[in-house]
Amino acid sequence: MDIFWGMPAEEHLAWGGLIALYLFLAGISGGAFVTASLTDLFSKKRSAKLIKTGAYIAPVAIILGLGLLVLDLSKPFHFWKLLFYINGNSVMSIGTFIISIFVALAFVYGLLIWAESSSKSAGFGSKLAKFVSRFAALRKPVAMLGTLFAFSTTTYTGFLLAAITANALWSVSFFGLVSVPFLAVLFLVSGLSAGLAATLLGADRSDNVGTYKKIDTVLIVLEIILLAVLYSTVNPLYFSGSMAVLFWVGVVAIGLLLPLILSIYSLYRHSNLLIPVSGMVIIGGLCLRYFIVYSGQLY
Amino acid sequence: MAKHYGMVIQIAKCIGCQACTVACKFQNKVPEGQYRTMSPAVGPIGTYPNVSMHFGKEACQMCQNALCVDVCPTKASHYDENGLVMVDADKCVGCRYCLAACPYDARFINKETGAADKYTFCFEERLSKGLQPACVSTCLGGSLSFGDVNDPNSDVAKILGKSKAEFRLSELGTKPRIYYIYDGVVK
Ligand code: SF4
Ligand code: SF4
Repeated sequence: MDIFWGMPAEEHLAWGGLIALYLFLAGISGGAFVTASLTDLFSKKRSAKLIKTGAYIAPVAIILGLGLLVLDLSKPFHFWKLLFYINGNSVMSIGTFIISIFVALAFVYGLLIWAESSSKSAGFGSKLAKFVSRFAALRKPVAMLGTLFAFSTTTYTGFLLAAITANALWSVSFFGLVSVPFLAVLFLVSGLSAGLAATLLGADRSDNVGTYKKIDTVLIVLEIILLAVLYSTVNPLYFSGSMAVLFWVGVVAIGLLLPLILSIYSLYRHSNLLIPVSGMVIIGGLCLRYFIVYSGQLY
Repeated sequence: MAKHYGMVIQIAKCIGCQACTVACKFQNKVPEGQYRTMSPAVGPIGTYPNVSMHFGKEACQMCQNALCVDVCPTKASHYDENGLVMVDADKCVGCRYCLAACPYDARFINKETGAADKYTFCFEERLSKGLQPACVSTCLGGSLSFGDVNDPNSDVAKILGKSKAEFRLSELGTKPRIYYIYDGVVK
């Protein structure tokens, strides 16, 4: 670096791809959990396959995300200090506890769902499943409490970025409501949508997923409206330059418009486009996190 | 009145020699390629014949309302007993939340310790022993002054009494302790 002429500092971006991936995984995990738990609690037909898929994705995705987060620390072996030194003003410190509780609940819920279907099989697995089945009564309470923490975890990823008040993209508030960050709402909608999409990938052909598809379509439309509002609120520079392709192709075209067109088409034609639609929604969610993380720091 | 440490930078007196940059590197053993402070050129600005250039000192602004302290999850970034922002390298996990939060881009991850690092007024190494920060005592042009702003007999108070000082990004409400004086400089 040339000190005299003040060339840009090295490692200029504090947060990179691993953080974006973590935000995405936390969103998908929360969305998958909510899909499974709400189906479990309120659906009359209770599609077992769907609940199972969501209940498994949730703990796997969040633990994977946390792993990436720890890897991204410059002192990964000191991560436990996050649990022992607490700062009540720091969104990250509060979030550490929200996520820890969610991980525990998602793990227990996944285990209970697994035990439900595995107690009849043979071997060690069946013994464990029989043991876990004794706590079957906990399933609904865990699902309810977990839903609360799934929402919190997904929303938290937006609060995390929004707490950086000097960042004009990240700290935009939701329609002037100072205490509600725009990103918290955007990441919640996007997380629910991606989590639902991922869960649907595991649905049976026999399952009637019409309602879910409709919900996903509503979420996509909501996200389009939110992004349009964001676009008109902040400096257009954020959507330009090296970030333009990621935003317009990744987030808007692949993540929102194409899935929207395809799902409307499949509603009328009764054709099954679940896999491409869900796949694109998931890719779009990932692109959105990358876009927000990078663009916010570049401009 | 309580002590209020502050640094005054008279931009017009800085000749861009980077003695402060180097003194800081030696004093604080800052790893290669990393800097707690430096004085890069700003400009040249304007069109011939009205061209000007000055040197702007980059360093942690020692905010009294520090965003880095607010966001730090482990309280590794904290205010010391004098209200100066310091990093406890042992508590730091290296999450870089403070790097992202600092509006002055003043922080970096120290390559050797892995902890967040920044300018400290040489608190431990010099200030606590009654010495001036290394950059101040080495400054050739007499651009840097450091002391208790509340003490009317201090250099800093005297200079601030004579000239109008500015804070960087004052609109963010960070309340820095570094006073920039642009008298005699075309910005
Ligand atoms: S300049 Fe940056 S690092 Fe220094 S106190 Fe202010 S916010 Fe913290
Ligand atoms: S990098 Fe260290 S000092 Fe900075 S916010 Fe994280 S724990 Fe705190």
